[in-house]
Amino acid sequence: MKNRPSHSVLAALAISTIGLGAILVEHPAQAAESSETSQPDPMQFVRGAKAWANNCNRCHRMRDPKELRDDQWRAVLSHMRTRGGLTGQETRDILAFLQGSN
Amino acid sequence: MKRPRKQTGMATWLASLMIISMPVLAQTDLDRLTELEAKTTAMAEELAILRAELEAARQEEPESELEALRSEVAVATQTAQRAEKSANEWKNTSAVTHISGYAAAGFTSEKNGTDSFDLVNFNPIFHFQYGDLVMWESELEVRVADNGETEVGLEYSAINIFLNDYVAFVAGKFISPLGNFRQNVHPAWINKLPSAPSGFGHDGAAPSAEVGFQLRGGMTFGEQSRFTYAAYIGNGPKLEGVGGELHGIETGGFAGDKDDEKIIGGRISFLPVPKLELGFSGAFGDAAVVENDGLDLVDDPSRAYTVLGADLMYRWNNFGFLGEYIQQDIADNASSLIPMGGKWESWYLQSAYRFAATKWEGVLRYTDYTSPHPDESQEQWTLGVNYLLTPNSALKVAYEVNDGLAGAETDNNRWLLQVAYGY
Ligand code: HEC
Repeated sequence: MKNRPSHSVLAALAISTIGLGAILVEHPAQAAESSETSQPDPMQFVRGAKAWANNCNRCHRMRDPKELRDDQWRAVLSHMRTRGGLTGQETRDILAFLQGSN
Repeated sequence: MKRPRKQTGMATWLASLMIISMPVLAQTDLDRLTELEAKTTAMAEELAILRAELEAARQEEPESELEALRSEVAVATQTAQRAEKSANEWKNTSAVTHISGYAAAGFTSEKNGTDSFDLVNFNPIFHFQYGDLVMWESELEVRVADNGETEVGLEYSAINIFLNDYVAFVAGKFISPLGNFRQNVHPAWINKLPSAPSGFGHDGAAPSAEVGFQLRGGMTFGEQSRFTYAAYIGNGPKLEGVGGELHGIETGGFAGDKDDEKIIGGRISFLPVPKLELGFSGAFGDAAVVENDGLDLVDDPSRAYTVLGADLMYRWNNFGFLGEYIQQDIADNASSLIPMGGKWESWYLQSAYRFAATKWEGVLRYTDYTSPHPDESQEQWTLGVNYLLTPNSALKVAYEVNDGLAGAETDNNRWLLQVAYGY
């Protein structure tokens, strides 16, 4: 049992390598963060409203933008991003929409 | 000659008069002049004072008032800036701490069984986020057991590192990404019925949790379509034998791997339109029986472990449909102490209707669960009515028509009441 070539070690390594590769290649999330502060994108709110309407009632009832504060929406959206398979761009757009609507 | 004499005399007289009167005249003018001069000097002095005062009034006084005003404004600005900074501080921090979660209380009335307030749970979720890059999420499940003790479980605790817009790396204990119910529906405020479909609770047909690494994310394509994926490697399940049979597949997520066999699996889903999601799940690997009748079992040979699942979500006007099939399979192994494997399999279809412009909702679900143990298998119809108090809470009433092995608990019909709140 102990001497066999371990596929699982290879798979664990593969998962971490893909991950590391992705992080080394680029980090658009951060780039977008800095560009956001310097230059607000007027269409972001509109895109966010659309993505919100399409996605945020897929699994549960629509939660009211007024339920939470801006910072709370940040954490919730990261949570929902992995749950719902949302892209980073969609997450930032929906966040802009929620933060502009609460 | 007389005439010149007379003229000379006149002139002399006039001259004398002038000479006499001149000092008198001179004396008066001088006085007045002096007086005038004094007055002028006084006036000039007064003017100078007035000018100085005017100048002072013009220059010094408003200037100092202006100065005072200026410094007051500066202080006020500073105070306002400080206030604005502290008012916005919470918005601009790179780290965010957030608590959410859900709680539920319930009552069950079971035919041939008891009527009891049998559910009180509290599931706090903690989010710790850093920028757009990292989020650690942990959920505890705290519940009161029927003996009054408080049970605490770690539902999940995992780091999410957002590697780029499409990939998140997850490490720790996470909800099983296989299927839909466990990861997306089971919280009480989301589940439209007070119970989980038969086989989708703990240790049934659907895996609960996993400890390992995971990559997940999604991408959009076309106008409205989406693809989501989750792929993981983990310690996998624990197999236990009881009375010479496989007792069940324990999938609570273990931070240890007695059989030293890892499981690889995942789920992909397609959403051609946002209203429709089709998901496919699978997990593969080996597992071994590590416990028999409560005792550790070492070196029992491993056998194949397979999970297969498909799920569907569809929304249409006020209707919401859910459907899911999942199975966990353990292969036979003649050289094992427990040679017989087994298949745990369940599926359900659920449809819910929200009565337009009201807070009322009706739900109907059919479930068919098949376990290698006949007393666990169950066919179930559940009809429920919900009052949706707020977007994150619900009052639920449901009736389960259960068809199981005659005389077994799974054969008892039940009334269920539940109050659920997601925070
Ligand atoms: C794929 C299913 C899914 C999608 C899509 C989804 N959610 Fe959720 N959401 C969940 C689940 C499941 C929970 C409960 C989390 C838990 O208990 O671990 C939840 C919880 C929440 C909560 C409670 C706070 C929390 O973080 O637990 C809020 C608020 C929320 N979602 C808002 C949203 C918004 C806004 C969107 C759109 C961006 C969204 N959800 C999209 C499944 C989803």
